[in-house]
Amino acid sequence: MSDKAANEREVVIEVKDLVRRFGNRTVLNGINLKIYRGETFVIMGGSGCGKSTLLRHIIGNLKPTSGRVILLGEDITDRYGSELDKVRKKIGMSFQSSALFDSMTVGENVSLPLREHTRLDKSVIDIMVTMKLELVGLRGFENLLPSELSGGMKKRVGLARAIAMDPQIIFYDEPTAGLDPIVAAVVDKLIVDLSKKLQVTSVVVTHDMKSVMSIADRIAMLYEGRVLEVGTPGEITNSRNEIVQQFINGSPDGPVRFFQQKGDYLDDLTQ
Amino acid sequence: MQINLEEMGGISVFRVSGDIDINSSPDVKKSFDKAINAKKNKVVINLKDVGYVDSSGLATLVEIFKNLRSLGGKLKLTNLSGKVKGLFEITKLDKLFDILPEEKDAIASF
Repeated sequence: MSDKAANEREVVIEVKDLVRRFGNRTVLNGINLKIYRGETFVIMGGSGCGKSTLLRHIIGNLKPTSGRVILLGEDITDRYGSELDKVRKKIGMSFQSSALFDSMTVGENVSLPLREHTRLDKSVIDIMVTMKLELVGLRGFENLLPSELSGGMKKRVGLARAIAMDPQIIFYDEPTAGLDPIVAAVVDKLIVDLSKKLQVTSVVVTHDMKSVMSIADRIAMLYEGRVLEVGTPGEITNSRNEIVQQFINGSPDGPVRFFQQKGDYLDDLTQ
Repeated sequence: MQINLEEMGGISVFRVSGDIDINSSPDVKKSFDKAINAKKNKVVINLKDVGYVDSSGLATLVEIFKNLRSLGGKLKLTNLSGKVKGLFEITKLDKLFDILPEEKDAIASF
C-alpha cells in the first residue's frame, strides 16, 4: 500500500512510542505502528523479539512503561476492568494454545462469550454457534469435547469463539504453531477467508514465513524490541536490511546473534 | 431500533428501523414472539431502514422463521439494502429466506 492510500484509510490501532521494561531489560523499545481497517497486518520476528509482548499491550493485557495504545479510537493505556472490557468486546483473540475449556463441548466453548456478555436467548445463541462453526468448517462438531479434536480443529474452534461476538479486529497469536504444513495452510486460508467475508481487520503475530507471505497485506518486522521495517510482502522481500533478509531466508549466518553467552567460556569452566 | 406493525388483510407487516445487533436483537425477538403468540402466521418484515444486521440479528431472524414455520406460518423479507443482502449471502441465509424486492411483492406472494 502506498503512503497516500494508507493516509486515506481509517486507523483502528495506533501504538505511539511504546516502551516496556521488565526489570532492567527493555523488551519493547519505542514502537510506533498504525494498523488500518480491513487489512491483514502481520507482526513478525524471531523468538523473544517482543512480538507477543507487543500484542498483549495492544489488547490491554499488559501496560507499557511509557507510550500509548489507541484501540478503535479509544486510548486504552490507562484503562482497566470494565472500562477496558467495553473496548475489548469489539475484538476477538485467537490464542496460540487455542485456550479451550476442556470440560466444555465445542458448542459451549464457542457460545461462552455470548452467554457471558449478552442477553440473547439460548435458542438464538445456538443458531449463532452453528453459523460460526460453519464459517470455520466445523458445523456438526458442537457436542464433541476438545480432547476429541486434532490440534488444527482446536485452533478452528478457538477461532469460531474469537468471532462469536462479531469483532471488528481479530488477533491471532502464532496461529500455525505446532501444525503440520497442510493444516497450517488450511488455517492461513481461513484467516484470509474470514477477513474478506467478515470485513474485519486481522493482526497476526507469527514467525512462520510461509504463513506471513500468504496472508499479509502489510508486515512489521520486529527485532530486539524495535520495528525494523514496515511494508507489503513485496517490499519486505526486497528489503536491503540484512537482518530482514536473514530472517526471511532463514539463514543461520548474518547479523542476528543466536548465542548470548556472557563472560569467558574457559573461565566459567574452571571457576 | 424501532418496530412498527401494520395489519394488511390478514398479513402482518413489520417495518424495522435501526441496526439489528447484539444490543437490539433480544427486543426484536420479543416483538415477534408476541406476534407469533397472537397467531399471526403471515408475516412480512420490511428491512428498508435497517443499516446493519450482525450475526445475532441474523440468528434472531432464523429463530423467527423457525417458530413461524412450526406453526404453519410463513415469513417474507423485503427491501434489503445491498450491504444487508451481502450479509445474508455470506451466511448462505439468502437460500433459507424468501427475500423479495418490495413490500407489495411480498404481500402479493401469500
